[in-house]
Amino acid sequence: MIQLSKNYSLPERQEEPIPIKVVGVGSAGSNALDRVLLDGMDKNDLIAINTDVQALATSVAARKVQLGRTSTHGLGTGGDPELGYQAAIESAEEIRQAIAGARMIFVCAGLGGGTGSGAAPVVAQLAREAGSLVIAFATLPFSFEGKRRASQAQDALTRLNEVANAVICFENDRMGDMVAPKAGIHQAFGVADMTISQSVRSIVNLIQRPGLIRIGFDDLFAALRSQNGRCLFGFGESNSDNRAHDALTQALKNPLMDKGRMLGEASHVLVQVAGGPGMTLSEVEILMRELGKHVRDHTQIVFGTAVDGKMGNRLTVTIISSLAAEDSVESQIAPPPMPEPFLAPPPAALEEIDEPVSQPKIHAWPDVEAPVSGAMNESAADTAATTPPASDLIPLEQAMPIEPPPAPPIKKSAPRLIPPKKKPIEKLPVAEKEVKQPKTPKEKTHAKQEMMQFEPVTRGRFEKSEPTIVEGQDLDVPTFLRKNIKVK
Amino acid sequence: MASGDLIVGLEIGTSKICVVVGETRPDGTLKILGVGQAPSRGIRKGEIVDFETAMKCVHEGVVDAEQKSDVMIRSVFVAVAGSHIESFNNRGCVMLPEDRDEIDDQDVEDVKVNAREVSIPAQNAFLHSIIQHYHVDGQDGVLNPVGMLGEKLEADFHIIHGVRTRIQNTIRCVKELPLEVEDVVFGALASAQVVLTQHQKNLGALVVDIGGGTTDYILYVDGAVKQSGVLAVGGDHITNDISMGLRIPMARAEKLKTEEGSCILGNCLPGETIVLKDDSGFAGKEIERETLNTIIHLRLREIFELLKRTIEEEPFINYVGGGIFITGGCSLLNGIDHLAGEIFEMPARVTHAQKLAGLTSAAENPQFSTAIGLLKYAQAVQVDRPRRGIGRIFSRFFPGMR
Repeated sequence: MIQLSKNYSLPERQEEPIPIKVVGVGSAGSNALDRVLLDGMDKNDLIAINTDVQALATSVAARKVQLGRTSTHGLGTGGDPELGYQAAIESAEEIRQAIAGARMIFVCAGLGGGTGSGAAPVVAQLAREAGSLVIAFATLPFSFEGKRRASQAQDALTRLNEVANAVICFENDRMGDMVAPKAGIHQAFGVADMTISQSVRSIVNLIQRPGLIRIGFDDLFAALRSQNGRCLFGFGESNSDNRAHDALTQALKNPLMDKGRMLGEASHVLVQVAGGPGMTLSEVEILMRELGKHVRDHTQIVFGTAVDGKMGNRLTVTIISSLAAEDSVESQIAPPPMPEPFLAPPPAALEEIDEPVSQPKIHAWPDVEAPVSGAMNESAADTAATTPPASDLIPLEQAMPIEPPPAPPIKKSAPRLIPPKKKPIEKLPVAEKEVKQPKTPKEKTHAKQEMMQFEPVTRGRFEKSEPTIVEGQDLDVPTFLRKNIKVK
Repeated sequence: MASGDLIVGLEIGTSKICVVVGETRPDGTLKILGVGQAPSRGIRKGEIVDFETAMKCVHEGVVDAEQKSDVMIRSVFVAVAGSHIESFNNRGCVMLPEDRDEIDDQDVEDVKVNAREVSIPAQNAFLHSIIQHYHVDGQDGVLNPVGMLGEKLEADFHIIHGVRTRIQNTIRCVKELPLEVEDVVFGALASAQVVLTQHQKNLGALVVDIGGGTTDYILYVDGAVKQSGVLAVGGDHITNDISMGLRIPMARAEKLKTEEGSCILGNCLPGETIVLKDDSGFAGKEIERETLNTIIHLRLREIFELLKRTIEEEPFINYVGGGIFITGGCSLLNGIDHLAGEIFEMPARVTHAQKLAGLTSAAENPQFSTAIGLLKYAQAVQVDRPRRGIGRIFSRFFPGMR
């Protein structure tokens, strides 16, 4: 459905759609790619990256990168992230070529295994170095896959958080809620893929669709700000008569949303409503009003709307938000010591990158730059003193010094590499605050619910007839009275 | 004038009296000759609360039908409803004598009697006992056991019963007109006869007949009735809710419901209002459409949810493959199929009497489903027992009478 073709142009904003690449790392990543392709993404925008040649051969992506020709010899990593990492380093040049030219890169990986956990952070890192904006979609393994995989996944997630601009994390355990208990395990994994694909699709749309009220990267980041947290994501589409309502219901049905209950605890919610030219203001109004019931009063709603002729009479709703997850924050405060190779000798590299911090990037992302880079630089400054530089450096930088000269664009935005690295560390206290915050307002919302008390129970025309008592309720009394729902 | 056998269906509804006159043609088809109706008074939740008034209304309806169809009505089939009607499934069993192993008609009769030998409350009487399936020596799903060999014949019956006196009230009301009562039939059972095709019954279907005062339901699985019942909440309750919620007279509320009402929420423009013109004894008023729809939605949602909970007490709903068929006057409300489908999580549609000759415009109105269904029911019964005296029928249903 999404045409990433170039025939669309918006005169004032940009001449061409933002070049996008979706990278699937490891076999889980390439499964996700399959789904992304099925959902209508252009084949040429997909890149499969894997150590396992066999898996790579079956991938649908147009561009394939085999990792570690000499270290794994075309076999898998056997679940060893270190091997995955080594393989990625070995093939760094190939990866760089594959992702060149994209302004925005989605890295999809299933964390927990070897290639996904080991190589995905490297890919993300390389993409950042190439000046792209990186959004990572990571799935955490099912809990039945064992503790070992879970901790590998957590490590990888921490590192992804350091390098990517945003990480949207799906817990497979929660995906399991979506499928019937009797459904095959394939189906459960399939659902995870589908959710990833949906997210990619809707974020692409979000950014690319010319908006009446536009949502930019800055808005996206604001919504995803609480890193390490639980991502709330919902996407709904409908073309029925009551499409505004249906689309929203569908979006809230997403398991990551928990029927909208989770939204009540989020501080930022990003909503985009897109539809064809037939979309009416009142539809949007109805939808937003309905959504308003799910969020707290002081939640900041970032609202965007877009009209796209290609949508026909469909209407889509995308809701993105994030919560700081209590347990995941805790577990990541003290990440297990990284394996040796990760601790590279990098202070030199850090300085090298620090230099171009000047301002060349402003043209690169006009929408985003001001807020994002501002915030990032600040945070970088804040934490520069407290953070030991070595611990947050990603080993890859060893290769860095050699790299910059041949590819000028890298230089331009290389500085962006640094801030996010510190972000998670700096973020932690904030995240904790955010964890506590929702608790009090939650009670508040409970208290706020008005109790409409009415003394005389009225039955109207059934006053004198035999009462119909079912399940202890007198059904002759209007439903809205019994349920304390205010109708006026 | 009618040439074939004349059959008349009479439904004494909470909001109106429906009389449908039809004739069975020699080729077995049913033709509707005319439809009479009259607004009813003195009836609440499907039962008579004011005998005299109700009788007058029934009379009006019958006279109307006589004029429209140009026939004299002498006897009618009457539909009954009311919260007192209940149902259950029971299995009857007979052992064949040792010297015989071929099942004959008498055995089938015996097993029917046997199945009905269950305790129902003393004041209750049987309305229907509907055969589901026979079992011969443990072989399931036998449709007609006559002529089969076996030692043990069992039969599953769906038994519908109700409070005797309350059913008799309805009968008396008709008999005082005076009209003969050929049979009394549970409303939803009658509706199902015309709303569902045999195929749909086999597939499994739930018929929900939402009338003025009651919501009747009947559930078919494998072509047999598995569950049925009455919830004494209907369109009247919606009207009452509207009247109380918006503080407008009942008549206004009724009009508002039928003309503007919808049970879909969030589908109207914010702040969209409906203007009620002033009238004698009623100052004009502006009401918000969303408010109206919310009231209707909440009530209907509750009805469906109650119904769902009731039906889910037994496992049969899981075998329904044909979906939900909503009929009755209240089914004309906008979006009701949508709501029912959402709650029951299966396809739902609003439907009416199907495939009839004659006055088809009447058949296409779901308000007449029950009355037309009575004709179909009568036709089916008359094939079984060509012409029986009223006395025999009554001795069957009400052993105490006559």
